[in-house]
Amino acid sequence: MLLLLANLIAVSLFLSCPWWVLKREFGGAGVLAGTFGVIDPQELGIPDSLAIGWIPWLSGAWVLLALCSSWALLIRERQLRARWLYSLGIGGLLLFGLGLLRFYGAIGAVNGVALAEGILPARLPLRRFSPSLACYASFAYALLLLLLGRLQLPGGKAFLVRWRQIVVPLSALGLAVAVGAVVVWILRPGLGASPDLTLFENLTTKLDLITYTFQLLFSPLTHLSGLFQSLLLATPLVFTGLAVAFGFQAGLFNIGAPGQLTMGAIATMLVGVYLSGPGWLTLPLSILAAAAGGALWGGIPGWLKARFGTHEVINTIMMNYIAASIFLFLISANQYRFFGYPVTLPFKAPGPEARSYEIRPESRLPTVLELLGLQGSGAGELSWAWPLALLAGVSFYLFWRRWPIQRRLIGSLAVGLLGYLLGGILPGWPVEVPAGLAVIRFNGAFLIALLAVAVVNFYLWRTIEGYELRAMGLSPKAAEYAGVNLGQKQILAMAVSGALAGLAATHYVLGAGIEEYRLKQSLPANVGFDGIAVALMGQNSPLGITLTALLFGVLLTGGLQLNLELGISRELVTTLQALIVLFIAAGGLLPTYFTDPLQAAQVEMDAQRALAPSGEKEEIPLGPSSGPPSTPQPQS
Amino acid sequence: MATLFLALIPATLRSTTPLLLTALGGMYSERSGVVNIALEGIILFGALAAAVTTQQLEAPILAQTPAARVVWIPWVGLLAGALGGVAIAFVHALVCLHYKADQIVSGTAINLLALSVPSLVLQYFYGNTTNSQEIVNRLPLWNGFSPLVYLAFLLVPVSWWLLFKTPWGLRLRAVGEHPQAADTVGVDILRMRYGAVMLSGLLGGLAGAYLSIGFLNQFVRNMSAGKGFISLAAMIFGKWHPLGILGSTLLFGATDALAIQLQGGDVMPPVLIQALPFVLTMLVLSGMLSRIRQARPPAALGKVYHN
Repeated sequence: MLLLLANLIAVSLFLSCPWWVLKREFGGAGVLAGTFGVIDPQELGIPDSLAIGWIPWLSGAWVLLALCSSWALLIRERQLRARWLYSLGIGGLLLFGLGLLRFYGAIGAVNGVALAEGILPARLPLRRFSPSLACYASFAYALLLLLLGRLQLPGGKAFLVRWRQIVVPLSALGLAVAVGAVVVWILRPGLGASPDLTLFENLTTKLDLITYTFQLLFSPLTHLSGLFQSLLLATPLVFTGLAVAFGFQAGLFNIGAPGQLTMGAIATMLVGVYLSGPGWLTLPLSILAAAAGGALWGGIPGWLKARFGTHEVINTIMMNYIAASIFLFLISANQYRFFGYPVTLPFKAPGPEARSYEIRPESRLPTVLELLGLQGSGAGELSWAWPLALLAGVSFYLFWRRWPIQRRLIGSLAVGLLGYLLGGILPGWPVEVPAGLAVIRFNGAFLIALLAVAVVNFYLWRTIEGYELRAMGLSPKAAEYAGVNLGQKQILAMAVSGALAGLAATHYVLGAGIEEYRLKQSLPANVGFDGIAVALMGQNSPLGITLTALLFGVLLTGGLQLNLELGISRELVTTLQALIVLFIAAGGLLPTYFTDPLQAAQVEMDAQRALAPSGEKEEIPLGPSSGPPSTPQPQS
Repeated sequence: MATLFLALIPATLRSTTPLLLTALGGMYSERSGVVNIALEGIILFGALAAAVTTQQLEAPILAQTPAARVVWIPWVGLLAGALGGVAIAFVHALVCLHYKADQIVSGTAINLLALSVPSLVLQYFYGNTTNSQEIVNRLPLWNGFSPLVYLAFLLVPVSWWLLFKTPWGLRLRAVGEHPQAADTVGVDILRMRYGAVMLSGLLGGLAGAYLSIGFLNQFVRNMSAGKGFISLAAMIFGKWHPLGILGSTLLFGATDALAIQLQGGDVMPPVLIQALPFVLTMLVLSGMLSRIRQARPPAALGKVYHN
């Protein structure tokens, strides 16, 4: 049934969607090549020499492929069916590759002639060409055929369920993108749509608009400054995602990351501005202050829960509003009256804007470019010190798996230091830093974030305390019987969670993530809420969180471009994040054996029984109801 | 001083109204066993639906006769606000009940949506992402109060009667306390819960409409400013009982009104006064202000029912 539905969708997509975009102007208008010829609503024109006669043929081949795969429904034997689907899937991948080759070949031929005539690269006849929706759909379809083939073989379902940590977030992402596509469809008319287009052409331009929207969202991946900007925006998300996930691991829901971030920012501002001293002392202290501020704001709800049993969700939300008030109180004015008495505060910097004084230069975090030994734009020499130190340290840690953990960590640190010294001696690599890259304030907070990821990973999965914490998260009662002090653990978990959220402030205040080295009203505290999406999509694992934060960083950067070119608000990305939370809560709308670990284990057991030779089957004790393995019973 | 307190009473009634409506809504939802932390988002969506509908309806009329007052327009806006709330509550119910999601996560997702989706809607209609156009046809005032003020206070005895004196109320409480037992005697658990959650959406949507076309005359981004969460706290403090909720929302409403009254004076800086209701909420919830033990929540609250 799934196959038939997929085929129906695939064929309609192949026929109605644009396959390729031959050229595109700023603002999105472009020349589309679909199954039934070229659609050029704005009459941009393409050179006659462009060979695109093969596009309908390719499209026809895909439709044929989809028809062939429907044949699989008639094949009785599973093995044969699987083989049929596999071969069609591989054929699809080959066809996809062939299409890409033809497309870039044809474009390259036209542009090559123009280049030979001496036209500047910026004025080529075909610019910003790309594959389009039908092309992506065909690729996805080929992968789906392979997946369906795997599902036909014994153990197929168990295979999919085993990967549920990835399947569920991906499904949620896909659903969110689908809803996002509908939103875009409603928000804007098609690119270059005009009244004299036919209904079909209007449909095609709409689909093109949706494709282009998501292409723009992912476009930062294609150039270096976009990547830098994405990493910049991902940094606070790593912190807040870790914070929320740490709470989840302990069975606590910390919605207070915005408030903890704000308090961290206030604390780090106080230390960074008012503590004078050498940089090697004040910078670490400023970072610690950010963690301490967040820990305080997270610890209070933890204490309230442990002492009075009040739910942490409401308390953390209340603390968000309180933190926002304190924040504004400190930086919006200096003269206040309490019960008629004037009080003067020293925190607001002079000027109309609500902001604090600047962080002392020695307490600022260096940018990543500075860490690499480069000074601003223009020519410079790439220093090997930090890259080598990181590489050496991490690879040492990964290779000496046999060693006890303490020795491994110390060795890793030592080797890292050695790498740093060695890299300092090595001659630098001459590079040219483009001006666009130098203005991006991608800073050392990213390294702190990576360190935090490593530490949280280590704590949760390599220490007894972390084990107890996770035990509490899975079942507080069982953990308590096993001797875990629940109250203490809850306070600790909330404080650490708050500290992680507070560290995000190092990026904003010490690393000038908000353009200036100070506390400003534009501090985006709501990033703390985005942490919920990051934690859920990353399935609370440090690696997943890092990857998700990077993905969201890319999307947020793409959102800027989207606003610039199509006039669609960046809030689209925030909406996508919220939708992801919703869909992950709903288990990606997948069957329950993907979300319920007990049912997942049942699927796994069924698969192993099916794989076992039939002779052995009788000997396996099947439990009380030794009948054939049935569908899992729901737990009530 | 006396004039200050005299001015405080109507102000208290006005700021209690949205809290009371929302908290009563939350009570229905939680009595049926579904945590509804999405109330904040429901208020926002209700406010948005009411403001946009009213503005869109009056726009062609205003184009002909500026500042024209049309009687039925705000009432349609109110209806739209209520329906908007119901629609969002339905999403919450669907995700929680059909897909058996974690109710707090689902509610949080809806609150997150309420932070960003209104911006997209506002951009579509008005070309900016922060507020809607001001509307002319606000809800009327009866003796100086919005009709919703009367409705909210009227709903307290009505809810009490519904909950404790009708078969429906008995079933609702049974579903929230012991769903297995209710199921055994033939109560359709899912239907009761869907109904209760959507009823909370209706009341939350009305509260939102009160904010955008009764209290103010436009939708402003994030205009609920935590009212949904405060109502949730008021509902817990009111022990999931209509009369308790009346008392606790009056307390929060009075704090709110006092905060507004004190804005101009020099007792405390306004930015700190704004935090007062939230501090009060935390103190009240942890039982620091009241010596009474917290009441027990419905026994099946937040638990997924497998049928």
